Amino acid sequence: MTATDTERSGAGGTRTETLDSAPTLGVLYGRALLTARSGGSTLPDRRLELVNVRIDPDAVADYNHVCGFSVGGDVPPTYPHMLAFPLQMRLMTDREFPLPAPGMVHLRNVISQVRPPGVGEPLRVAVHADRLAAHPKGAQVDLVTTVTDEDGSTIWDSRSTYFVRGAPAPAGADDAPAAPPEPDPHVGRLPHAIWTVPGDIGRRYAAVSGDVNPIHVNGLAAKAFGMPGTIAHGMWTKARALAALAGRHGPAFTVDVVFKAPVRAPSKAYFHTAAVDGGWDAKLVSTKGRDHLLLTLREG
Amino acid sequence: MPSAPSSRPTPPRRAAIVGANRIPFARSNGAYARASNQDMLTAALDGLVARFGMAGEQVGEVVSGAVLKKSSDFNLTREAVLGSRLAASTPTYDVQQACGTSLQTTLLIANKIALGQIESGIAAGVDTTSDAPIEVNEGLRSVLLAANRAKSTAGVLKALAGLRPGQIVPEIPANREPRTGMSMGEHAAQTAAAWGITRQAQDEIAAASHQNLAKAYDRGFFDDLMTPYLGLTKDNNLRPDSTVEGLAKLKPVFKPAGYPDTEATMTAANSTPLTDGAATVLLASDEWAAERQLPVLAHFVDAETSAVDYVHGDEGLLMAPAYAVPRLLERNGLTLQDFDFYEFHEAFASTILATFAAWEDPIFCKEKLGYDEPLGSFDRSKLNVVGSSLATGHPFAATGARIVPTLAKLLHEKTDQEGSGTARGLISICAAGGQGVVAILEA
Repeated sequence: MTATDTERSGAGGTRTETLDSAPTLGVLYGRALLTARSGGSTLPDRRLELVNVRIDPDAVADYNHVCGFSVGGDVPPTYPHMLAFPLQMRLMTDREFPLPAPGMVHLRNVISQVRPPGVGEPLRVAVHADRLAAHPKGAQVDLVTTVTDEDGSTIWDSRSTYFVRGAPAPAGADDAPAAPPEPDPHVGRLPHAIWTVPGDIGRRYAAVSGDVNPIHVNGLAAKAFGMPGTIAHGMWTKARALAALAGRHGPAFTVDVVFKAPVRAPSKAYFHTAAVDGGWDAKLVSTKGRDHLLLTLREG
Repeated sequence: MPSAPSSRPTPPRRAAIVGANRIPFARSNGAYARASNQDMLTAALDGLVARFGMAGEQVGEVVSGAVLKKSSDFNLTREAVLGSRLAASTPTYDVQQACGTSLQTTLLIANKIALGQIESGIAAGVDTTSDAPIEVNEGLRSVLLAANRAKSTAGVLKALAGLRPGQIVPEIPANREPRTGMSMGEHAAQTAAAWGITRQAQDEIAAASHQNLAKAYDRGFFDDLMTPYLGLTKDNNLRPDSTVEGLAKLKPVFKPAGYPDTEATMTAANSTPLTDGAATVLLASDEWAAERQLPVLAHFVDAETSAVDYVHGDEGLLMAPAYAVPRLLERNGLTLQDFDFYEFHEAFASTILATFAAWEDPIFCKEKLGYDEPLGSFDRSKLNVVGSSLATGHPFAATGARIVPTLAKLLHEKTDQEGSGTARGLISICAAGGQGVVAILEA
């Protein structure tokens, strides 16, 4: 991977680097595990982007099979995360990035979609880091992604919040603007579906997403990072929840999810949904009543 | 009542139910373990042909289906007809609507007869849970399909190199709703809990089903509705000595999800068992029957199919008939009490009890049906008077074609005994996928 183009733009003077291909995630994880970090205390002032990205229908089909979307419909609203994640990892595995990438946990993901991206359509995918902040048990950071079409219109954006247990709250983190309130779904007492989370779902989702974070694919590694065992990717649970709501909402919406207790693989969990004014509320709850995922989807 | 017309145009004519034939139903992996859907359907058709002297005859069409169907059985009904004694020129097609399949095929045949498009037809259904299709698991399937798509030997080998030991485990069809991950029993348990259906009430339905079926066999009720098959002369799920006290000893299963404080109430006796079997019904115009000096047991009056949103809509999976029946009643200017017989498919005893409870509930009838008054209750002594699915068993697609002639014969017997007048009966069948089919017959 090489940076083919670098320019400074915007009032913030952010440096934008255009990459000529998506970074390989396995390599990035390996480098992150092996390379000593200098552990900068501020966020890098960079934006990474890929241009002329075209969504491959076969890759979408593989993704849909794992997440439960139907093949041949709109590109799933969670799919652009597949395009953005390698860029996020490239940013976060840099020596200068203030938090270590291995063992990072996804806390929250907000996606706003104006329209679904088309298969084969030339897209620009840009990623930067934002809101480095203290967390009661460590530190957290947001990775912001925008997907723009050929006309330069933003058709999709997302904000992923990642948490690193035990990481010191970096200097200057207090300046970060507060995140908006977490989604507060209101659902009924009765589950609408019982999910059977397969034991190999971490490996299967890793195969289609490239996200080979050890906590999802290896039980021992997961324990080393403080997990009870391998856990399902948060974005898989979000994708599966959205697949369950397919056909029940329009093309433009914001879907806000917080990931609470990790979903172990294998496990069973209860999925609750409720049609609400302007969209849907949903919850994934363990059979013992612990919240796994809180979701609100609002149209428009 | 949303968008239900209060009356309907008079149909050109009513289809007659002439007669029927089924094979006894057999519990899964028992008497019919070696028989395929096609074998059972052919046997049931041949029994019907023999009963009504139709060897070599062409009927308007034969419509049948199976819920658990091998992909090689795509033309199941056509293959069965070609192997039967019906004329090979008899057209066919397959239909699948889960447990509603053969009430729906009856409706399809009846409608074509009513419109004058055909003069006769056979509605049927068949299912086997013993000879069930087994699929390779998704991992193996995608490897094999990729190998099949490969253009070169090297490509095939490369695809096959992706094989993993875990992929050899086959997938056997499960009685599970794909969108909810819950089995039908788990869904029914939720509905039973929501309506507060007791274990005692469920066991009463189950015991009555067995006792009524046993009495019906004893008086020869099924003699002209059934042909022995593979050594069976009766449904082998029947336990004539079933009592509420005996059934109360069974261990309950299906604890309802979302009701931590509610005990499981459903048992192997008040839930239908997996069953193998096939059933057929002969329908015709009155003229066709008269020409052949065949009886007319009853006429097919009207039917309604409904569906509910059990996925996100907070309605029970098997509650669609609770919506279909009121629409059917309204369209025909009838009330729930206007019937001589009620034939309710007993998927689970709790299912029909929850449906009855809903019709007695002013809130359900107001909020869900838009009625100021509840539909109310009806005389339960008219319910499933010769037994139903809890006793006979329930080969999914065959159940409608078991119930239609059963009711037609009951109605015929009643008008025969009384010498005049009309007898009317209601059929209700719930189906997987949140659907329901209901119908009215008259004699």
